[in-house]
Amino acid sequence: MSDLDDFKATYFDECSELLTELEEQFAAIEAGERDSDRLNAVFRAIHSIKGGAGAFGFSALVGFAHAYETLLDYVRDGRVELTDEVVSLCIRANDIVADHVNAAQSGEALASDYGIEEKTRFDALARGEIEDELGGGIVEEFDIDFTPVMVDLDGAASGEALVDDVFEAAPMAPAEGQWEIRFTPHRALYARANDPLLLFRELAALGEMRVVPRLGQVPPLADFDPFAVYCSWEITLSAPELSEAAIREVFEFVDGDCDILIAQAGSTPLAAFDKPEMAAEADPPETDEPDLSSLLALTEDEMAETAGPLASVESFAPEPPAAPVGEQDSFEEPPGLSFAALAEEIRPSAPPPPAKPSVPPAARGLPAATEAEDGHRSVGVQSIRVDLDKVDRVVNMVGELVITQSMLTQQMDETLRARYTELVRGLEVLAQTTRGLQDSVMAIRAQPVKSVFSRMPRLVRELAAKTGKKIKLETIGENTEIDKTVIEQLSDPLTHMIRNSADHGIEGPQSRRGAGKPETGTIRLSAEQAGGNILIIVEDDGGGIDRERVLKLARDKGIVAPDITPTDEQIDQLIFAPGFSTADAVSDISGRGVGMDVVLSNIKKIGGSVHVRSWTGKGTRMTLRLPLTLAVLDVMLVKVGDSPYVVPLSSIVETMQCSRANFERVPSGGRVLQVRGEYVQVIDLGQRFEMAMANAPGDQFVVLCETEGSQKVALVVDDIIGQQQVVIKSLEENFERVEGIAGGTILGDGNVALIVDVQGLRTTHIHQNAA
Amino acid sequence: MEALSLRDDMSDKTALAAQNSLQLIAFSIGEQTYGVEITTVREIRAWNGATPLPNTREFVRGVINLRGTIVPIFDLRARFGDGQTSPTKNHVVVVMSVGDKWVGILVDAVSDILTVNRDDIHNVPEGNAIDTELLNGIVTHENRMVGLIDLHAVVTGAKMDG
Repeated sequence: MSDLDDFKATYFDECSELLTELEEQFAAIEAGERDSDRLNAVFRAIHSIKGGAGAFGFSALVGFAHAYETLLDYVRDGRVELTDEVVSLCIRANDIVADHVNAAQSGEALASDYGIEEKTRFDALARGEIEDELGGGIVEEFDIDFTPVMVDLDGAASGEALVDDVFEAAPMAPAEGQWEIRFTPHRALYARANDPLLLFRELAALGEMRVVPRLGQVPPLADFDPFAVYCSWEITLSAPELSEAAIREVFEFVDGDCDILIAQAGSTPLAAFDKPEMAAEADPPETDEPDLSSLLALTEDEMAETAGPLASVESFAPEPPAAPVGEQDSFEEPPGLSFAALAEEIRPSAPPPPAKPSVPPAARGLPAATEAEDGHRSVGVQSIRVDLDKVDRVVNMVGELVITQSMLTQQMDETLRARYTELVRGLEVLAQTTRGLQDSVMAIRAQPVKSVFSRMPRLVRELAAKTGKKIKLETIGENTEIDKTVIEQLSDPLTHMIRNSADHGIEGPQSRRGAGKPETGTIRLSAEQAGGNILIIVEDDGGGIDRERVLKLARDKGIVAPDITPTDEQIDQLIFAPGFSTADAVSDISGRGVGMDVVLSNIKKIGGSVHVRSWTGKGTRMTLRLPLTLAVLDVMLVKVGDSPYVVPLSSIVETMQCSRANFERVPSGGRVLQVRGEYVQVIDLGQRFEMAMANAPGDQFVVLCETEGSQKVALVVDDIIGQQQVVIKSLEENFERVEGIAGGTILGDGNVALIVDVQGLRTTHIHQNAA
Repeated sequence: MEALSLRDDMSDKTALAAQNSLQLIAFSIGEQTYGVEITTVREIRAWNGATPLPNTREFVRGVINLRGTIVPIFDLRARFGDGQTSPTKNHVVVVMSVGDKWVGILVDAVSDILTVNRDDIHNVPEGNAIDTELLNGIVTHENRMVGLIDLHAVVTGAKMDG
């Protein structure tokens, strides 16, 4: 049972990756990149989701995915044109697939008719096109493509051998309602431990079947490559009522690993092409055992000439050739296969005999492209799936190593340094290596934010539909990498922020038009690296925050004291105030406020901060500042009283020496410090942390820090010890959150130092003053 | 009951008695003896200082580094309202697990491992609020009174109000 659960967990993991991929591919397709690579990727993704779903019995998902896949298949081979309508139907379908996956994962049942409308559309689209095919239009195409085949066939003296003597004209002659299947496995099919026999058994269950192997490609023993594939099969299946899709389904799990040509004899225009083939194959020489040495003697040209009978098999292919010849050329078989491949693949259908192994273009081109892409991928980026716990353990150990290393360095005093130069050099190398190791380990955990960003287009679509607004989402910098744990915590806040922008920021089309703006509002989601931080910005071109309303509500709720007049910026920030948004009455304001305190608390939890800036009538920008990694921080070590504290270096602007006399009082009772003409809020850490004051009234040090929105704050400390790198440890793991403290770290001497939460100190300061 | 599984070789009669008995780590604060169940104790270490935590009550002595993990230390004497301990190198920190957290308790000394009978545990007499809040019960061992510490109660209310 637990095994099955494991498999399921893996399946859902893969699903979420595949769904992400779908979003990406369709973003590109929507933008106009409608090439076969993208379609193939989409098809593969849906196919994999369907395959797993089938294995676990998620029948609703299978049903929908199947219909979708059929449509994609037709799009792929050109029977259904990829119009804008089809694209948006597909995007909708992706959402439905995602919903099905979620439902399967959570065990909730979706409405039984969920997605039925889209499914019907798929079927209609697919069916419509098939009917066209059965009509006159496509026959013409076939005529053009295959006429040479017919000419060639009659005179062809075939060296192509068919072993089975049953394989003669009479039994092979296609009767009405018979299916002709040619199955040519690739090497990969066997590599994935698939067995043609099982496929044949499955086919046999569908109707009366005859299987004939084609052994013509078997080389002399000397040339025999045990891993190569020399055998293909021709199958006649008597099952008139069977659909092509049903046959294809049998081969579903080997899709891409084989060539399958399926044609229904007698009932389609293709039938005309079957007859010459049968005639040719009935020729006595063909039924001989293949003469291996004579095969060896065959030159390419001869092969080409003698491949006549085979050629007609190709005309089984219902698909008109689509891929250009040039493209096929790039998909050559590996050298080891060349001879067999040659024999196998030769197609005289193109007017001159092809000198290279070529394939039935439509049937072969796409799977080949798939292979090529897979191959490319495996060479480009190889990856393994690792339990995050294991990585965490390595990260922790590297953290300890960093601490030990800095401890060793600290304990080398000057006399030792002078005496043991070799040791010093060794320590330097150790420091370097440790740093490198640390960076590499951190990089393991880094992931592009894409995985979160890609969920957002769907959200925006849904929100737009729900609110009746026109909204478009732009994403920038989605390849920016952040620590995995940070990414995991990012999804909720981002969802809230985007929902907020769509719900409250962007106005309805009418009022936008009234304001002289384009009807379609834009939400821009961007990520960029800024020093040791990642900035994630959600920006909209909506109406901005209704400050009057926000301030009034904040006053009513006692968040802002009546006698305080906050600046515009402070008002904007109020939407994150805890308690501001919890009441129902707030949710209908035209400004902001739904669940934004959740954003703040989530972001704080991962050591980040949020800043909002709004321009009336023009829009709002929310900035998330996140640490690159949760594990390591460059800090300045300071002393407050007897206790060591560390201040994140990323927020420090400068440090200076200064006496208490330099501080001035402002009416609120707070103190400020003038730094080059600018008055900066002063926070005395000794006072704030209620430590026994060092009480040296003389000189003190000020660490000037920058917080969100370029607000500066001056932290008063007793001493500045130096800079170093520390590993962040959680206080909450064994204790609880402490106001003004972002966490702890362990210093070289084994003692704990607390990390100052500069932003947190400043905001609580404002609240305290305001209260 | 982890401790019991180690005693498979005991006679049935002793096993029966063991099921009803409880092993305690006893430690002293001044003249008083207190105990905690031995299975909750993770480690006993000498006092080596702690980094003070701002904005917490006086019974929170701060945090220490326990092999890479930050563990808060509670001053039991201060928790009982007797003022902070002035710790020396001879003072002891008993590291215990409370729920899924690890915490340390600063005590004067660890004295003994006691085996007591569950039936002999008495209720804490009503009267002093601190006693009833922080003790699960009282047990007599060799004519000494041993207070059973309620760890959950000890570690709550650590933050300063406001």
